[in-house]
Amino acid sequence: MSYRIIKEKLAAKESILLDGGIGTEVLRRGIRWRQHGIEDAPDVIRNIHVDYLEAGVDVLTTHTFNLTKRNFINFFRDAEHMSLIGPVGLPTKAMELCHTAVSLAKEALAQTGKAETIPLAGSIGPVMHLFRPDLSPSKDDCLTHHSECVEILSDCGVDFIFFEGMNNIREAQAALQAAAGFDFPVWMSFVPGMDGNLLNGESLSDAADLARGNGAEAVLVSAGNIPMIKKSLPNIINGSPCGAKAIIGRYSPPSWKPDFYPRFEDTDEVSPEKYAKEVNNWMDQGVQIVGGSSGTTPEHIRAVRGIMG
Amino acid sequence: MSYKELKSRIDAQQVAFLDGGIGTEILRRGYTWASHQLKSEPELNLEIHQDYINAGADVITTNTFQLSKRSFRNHFANNEHLEAIGARGLLNRAGKLIHESVALADKARRSFDHNDTLIAASITTLEWCFRPDRSPDVEKIYDEYLEELTDYADAGADIFLFETFNSTPEAEVAIKAAKEINIPAWVAFVPYKDGRLLGGQSMADVADAMARNEPDVLLLNCAPPDHITAGLEQLAPLWNKPLGVYAHVGKFNPPEWQFTDEYNADQHLQECKHWHDLGATVIGGCCGTTPDYIKKLTQFFS
Repeated sequence: MSYRIIKEKLAAKESILLDGGIGTEVLRRGIRWRQHGIEDAPDVIRNIHVDYLEAGVDVLTTHTFNLTKRNFINFFRDAEHMSLIGPVGLPTKAMELCHTAVSLAKEALAQTGKAETIPLAGSIGPVMHLFRPDLSPSKDDCLTHHSECVEILSDCGVDFIFFEGMNNIREAQAALQAAAGFDFPVWMSFVPGMDGNLLNGESLSDAADLARGNGAEAVLVSAGNIPMIKKSLPNIINGSPCGAKAIIGRYSPPSWKPDFYPRFEDTDEVSPEKYAKEVNNWMDQGVQIVGGSSGTTPEHIRAVRGIMG
Repeated sequence: MSYKELKSRIDAQQVAFLDGGIGTEILRRGYTWASHQLKSEPELNLEIHQDYINAGADVITTNTFQLSKRSFRNHFANNEHLEAIGARGLLNRAGKLIHESVALADKARRSFDHNDTLIAASITTLEWCFRPDRSPDVEKIYDEYLEELTDYADAGADIFLFETFNSTPEAEVAIKAAKEINIPAWVAFVPYKDGRLLGGQSMADVADAMARNEPDVLLLNCAPPDHITAGLEQLAPLWNKPLGVYAHVGKFNPPEWQFTDEYNADQHLQECKHWHDLGATVIGGCCGTTPDYIKKLTQFFS
């Protein structure tokens, strides 16, 4: 329902503010990274959403990035191996956690009185590790996976689908195809590499064209650091809705984890004020949707709100 | 005890004891194991090693499962990407932590009057242990093993325990590198419910490959007791050199462990007696086992 407000803003060329890091914020608040912190600390997740809402976001994103059945299966040889040595209930665990995650976001919207005005973006990450385009599976596999993810978020009741951190064209195509079967607006963000193209070396402007041609209402870049984002902007800016959010700090994963683990260090190297200044430059170049990736905090988003007015 | 003494005990078919779970023990004591806790909680590491020595382990293993340069590098698209957004010093982190882990195990053994426990370096596959489909190209990994093993050797490990291996080709490379460094290699493979390796090879394939490479001890690990039994029943008749087992108990609930009472320490001991009857003489515990499990074993067999 409230997506209409965003659609009008996009059409009127108004700037739109997204939230910042959620996973990194969970860790920063001292919560253990298991099941996205949702079972251990639902209150903390809700508070993170509230903090972003109070910082002035126009869109709230669900804490569902990479929260998928596939992410659990990846730890095992296959589904049968998982059923033998994993706990009962693991195959449906991700789905249940998604429902809780979306509920927590909705509670935050209700708590701040913004349920009618701020739309909820259902976040879906890449099938495999955000930074490993080489692990992305076949198109059919991607299609099956993303269809399941969209269906789950549809059941949870989000306002639109936000595919975040796509790192190759084949998977992006499959994700858009998966969403096409549902009546949802779709946004898509791509991970840039050092040269401003896609992380796997494919052309980012081709990826952006493909996304727009397949129904994405906005194309963004995310999960790159500030120089990478800066370099990638000319490849997505074309007068239609586009956006950017950068990571700050340095990715510091543990060795014992095959999937993305949202721990970043040295995040204080980019203060909220400094981040807002960067974002301001992006907006001057024609970026309409702005927010923060891993490492950014509600304070960064508040500072960006400050310069947006 | 020197390694030579331990080896002669093992070769004489006497029972030798490994420790139990370390990562899961860290979890059970209320900490995350995401970063091994080597730097953040050295005392915790020390206590766990001491508890296993107290329980009667002849060999304690370092808290280094999947602690390798590649495991960190695997979180990035390529080296340039790591350089751009990765934590400073990330590629040196594994080497430093390996040194700290061996030092902690050594400190634990030195805290006893009879400090004769041996230290086994815990080393698993370069890629995720339960994903044989991701096994690296074995032609290209020798130097990587050599570098990793050198860190453990420099730090003072007594044994290389290659554990949770899912196929023989990677194990063969690892053993070859161990021979170059001249530290004894023990190799543990994961069996599946059908008694084959997780990667699909038969125990005859294992016996053939290991006969060519001669690890001092051949073991099965990181599978539930019934899978260990299935594997051991097939492997034991084909292997007349030292055999070992350490099963996991409970369920792998990624990224952590679910402790269950399906096999308590007494029931685990019953399984171990059966495995001993089948020919296993090096016995310990994998994920989910605790110092109590090891104590039960050592009390019964000693």
